[in-house]
Amino acid sequence: MLNVFIFVVLPYAALALLLFVTPYRYFSNRLVWSAYSTQFLEQKALFWGSIPWHYGILPVLAAHLVSVILPGPMKAILGNPRALILLEDIGQGLGLLALFGCLALLLRRLRTPMLKAVTSAADLALLALLLVEVATGVYMGIFIRGGPLWYLYTAVPYFHSLLAFNPQVEYVADFPMVFKVHAAGAFLFVAVLPFTKLVHLLYLPVGFLKDPPILYRWRTSKTGE
Amino acid sequence: MDVRAQLVMVFNLDKCIGCHACSISCKNIWTDRRGAEYMWWNNVESKPGVGYPKGWEDQGTYKGGWVAGGNRLRLRALGKVPTLLNLFFQPNLPKLTDYYEPFDFDYGNLYGAGDADDQPVAGAFSQISGRKIESIQGGPNWDDDLSGSRLYAANDVNLEDRGIVEDYGRMFLQYLPRICNHCLHPACVASCPSRAIYKRGEDGIVLVDQNVCKGWRFCTTACPYKKVYFNWDSGKAEKCIFCFPRTETGQCNACAHSCVGRIRYVGVLLYDTERVEQALLEPDDRLVEAHRAVILDPRDPAVREAARKNGVSAQWLDAAVNSPAYALVKEFGLALPLHPEFRTFPMAYYIPSLSPVLSVEGESHELMEHGLFPEVDSMRAPLSYLASLLSGGNRDVVAAALARLIALRVFTRAKNLDQPVPGGVLERAGLDEAAAVRLYRLLTIGGYGERNVIPAQQREEQDPHVRKGAGGFGILKKAGRRK
Ligand code: SF4
Ligand code: SF4
Repeated sequence: MLNVFIFVVLPYAALALLLFVTPYRYFSNRLVWSAYSTQFLEQKALFWGSIPWHYGILPVLAAHLVSVILPGPMKAILGNPRALILLEDIGQGLGLLALFGCLALLLRRLRTPMLKAVTSAADLALLALLLVEVATGVYMGIFIRGGPLWYLYTAVPYFHSLLAFNPQVEYVADFPMVFKVHAAGAFLFVAVLPFTKLVHLLYLPVGFLKDPPILYRWRTSKTGE
Repeated sequence: MDVRAQLVMVFNLDKCIGCHACSISCKNIWTDRRGAEYMWWNNVESKPGVGYPKGWEDQGTYKGGWVAGGNRLRLRALGKVPTLLNLFFQPNLPKLTDYYEPFDFDYGNLYGAGDADDQPVAGAFSQISGRKIESIQGGPNWDDDLSGSRLYAANDVNLEDRGIVEDYGRMFLQYLPRICNHCLHPACVASCPSRAIYKRGEDGIVLVDQNVCKGWRFCTTACPYKKVYFNWDSGKAEKCIFCFPRTETGQCNACAHSCVGRIRYVGVLLYDTERVEQALLEPDDRLVEAHRAVILDPRDPAVREAARKNGVSAQWLDAAVNSPAYALVKEFGLALPLHPEFRTFPMAYYIPSLSPVLSVEGESHELMEHGLFPEVDSMRAPLSYLASLLSGGNRDVVAAALARLIALRVFTRAKNLDQPVPGGVLERAGLDEAAAVRLYRLLTIGGYGERNVIPAQQREEQDPHVRKGAGGFGILKKAGRRK
């Protein structure tokens, strides 16, 4: 029952929310679409939180995704035990970095009076969710060795079955509770994404890389070609 | 030649009395709301002084503006790839306390306090955290008039000799009103990875699109004048909008309109977009000349033709011909750009102040008795100071502007007293009588219509669909943090 909830109901519900709420938010009011940075109000603790957090979590997240998108090449790479150990160690290090950053961010929110005015319940809940997510991830990294490999042969095919709308829970059903918490947290993350400031990560600011530096806009249709 | 038009503001520093009427009118209209309490899109600084935010002119700390390296310009703060790598934490972002923590007073306590031995007081509290502030550490214009302060004035980066602020015989004070310069090569625009900031083609006004801004904050760092502000509540950047809802309808900006000293002029300048970047590669002390070369003569038929081709309307071309800004900036070279060495090509111009006309060496009453005005380099505000502020260190262009102002005074004084004008006084300053009369009017008794020549937007030339969408009540959606 729990398995069906975590591995079938949750992911599809999360996906549906992501696909339908995000455009709604985009078209209804983009004035509340921001990274909601608080660096302007507090800088010192943010440095120790934001940098380890982002530089830790982004590569780890990317690794999760690459295995789903390119399972073939990943199998080839991880077939080499040295590469497996290396990747596992790097991942573990990054995970710890993210854990540290996340903890620092949460403490900062709780301990800086200036931030009270800009901290909502959603901000705290989000940080707590991320903390659980990273903590369970790091825990599995330590106690269930060979993470990149077993992830590739269990979670990845499960994801593929999800995407094919033919969810095969068997792949992941026998994992211990900590894995299930981690998975549930991940789906929850996707589900709340369109409702929170997390939307900022749906927008990659890369358009400016190719643009000329000075952007002009014309109100009249006649001018500026 | 790619000719475009821009509305610019010129400030006559001689006449600014530091009353802050401009700041207050701006605040009342635009920034009197949550998240913007600390913002002063228009502010007036005492010089010498550290300004707002404290020490904004020191690009060693804030890393604003552009630097010329070889044959190209690059942002002093971050290139494109480093921008992406620093999305999560900005190394040079000013913090709230560099401006000040906005506060208000608990007036309710004055009549709500219970019985006590002492009079109740209205204590200060932070407008952000709501906490009581025991001792206020900063406020808008915190170093107002403190030009003799070792704490503030002595840290003005433009001072060659810091001892001057404590030497009663030499200290000086003047005011510097500042708005966003609506630059021709704005660093704020270039630094935005979301491309939320843009320059309007028709009038050159630089705006932040609130729908596109994601609050990455690179603009705040990149603007060397610190004129993009981060709204801590909405999580987006905001800046001076040059009162575009007013100027579009031909009215002048709120700050200029309320200016008690009538120091402000608003008018059109035509410029050649293609020459901007090249001009900015010049060495610091040649930048003022380079600026002037980019600004085009609105009477030149070739310029007019090119402008027309770019869609500049006849009404705007007329306004360019009558523009007080063109006269002051280019024709008579009186008005200079603020810190041109930041290389954003600022489009707000300042007439350096002549006052106080006290000479360091001479006695003032003796000077007056002889009907003389001091020499340019014996003036109270050191030439080097003005040159650091307004010309990238080039004393000659500042001296030339001051010499013209002095010649103008000598000429007008003689006229007023029915005395003969000392021979060659105007000619030596590169003026003739007609020019002197015109400048005299403009700088003194010129009325609203002479000081502000603002062509309205050509609504009939706009696409009706665009116009329809732009003619409403503005943004009615709610910004701010979701609670
Ligand atoms: S003054 Fe600053 S904010 Fe204004 S246009 Fe120039 S760079 Fe941008
Ligand atoms: S209103 Fe005019 S005179 Fe008064 S401070 Fe502002 S610019 Fe100066």
